Amino acid sequence: MSDDAAQAYALGDRVRIVDLAKPGHVRTPIYARGKIGVIDHCCGSFENPENRAYGRVGRERIPLYRVRLRQRELWPDYDGAAEDTLVLEVYHHWLRPA
Amino acid sequence: MTERLITDVGGLPAGDVPREDVPQLFWEKHMIAMFNVLWSKGVFNLDEFRRAVEAMSPRHYKESSFYGRRLDGMTDLLVEKGIVSRDELAARTEQILREGTRDHVR
Repeated sequence: MSDDAAQAYALGDRVRIVDLAKPGHVRTPIYARGKIGVIDHCCGSFENPENRAYGRVGRERIPLYRVRLRQRELWPDYDGAAEDTLVLEVYHHWLRPA
Repeated sequence: MTERLITDVGGLPAGDVPREDVPQLFWEKHMIAMFNVLWSKGVFNLDEFRRAVEAMSPRHYKESSFYGRRLDGMTDLLVEKGIVSRDELAARTEQILREGTRDHVR
């Protein structure tokens, strides 16, 4: 695990969802990559699905967060209310402080 | 550039969402029961299943269905893990088609 992953996030922290350009099974949708949001909930720690997808089970658990993003941040042509948001579950290693 | 998984469709144009009810076939219920036994017993996990579905060709994925993809992902994993062989699957399929099912009569 990288040094980045050692640092935990707290509620309200601003984070950027990064594009790890990682091949294989990943759970971070393309539309959210590069976007900035706020930590909304700490879900606990779970085994990395990027390992489990290839039968590598029983490995370390990593933090999973719910990140709240503004719809206008996600979709440049979004014409709903400015305060509309979307909440997405993202694993720790896909996040950086923002 | 990042590779887009076949399942990662958020934000892409999708057209109209079909609204009609589709009756569930017997084999679909039967297959889901088998699927649930296999993952709950740890024969495979749901992340492996998702990976198996994502490995399908775009054409296979689009021409299949919710239950078709589930069946193919499940059987691909069983073959990958050496639990059944393609020959065994083909022979059993042949037998079922010969005998008829609740969903089709020979």
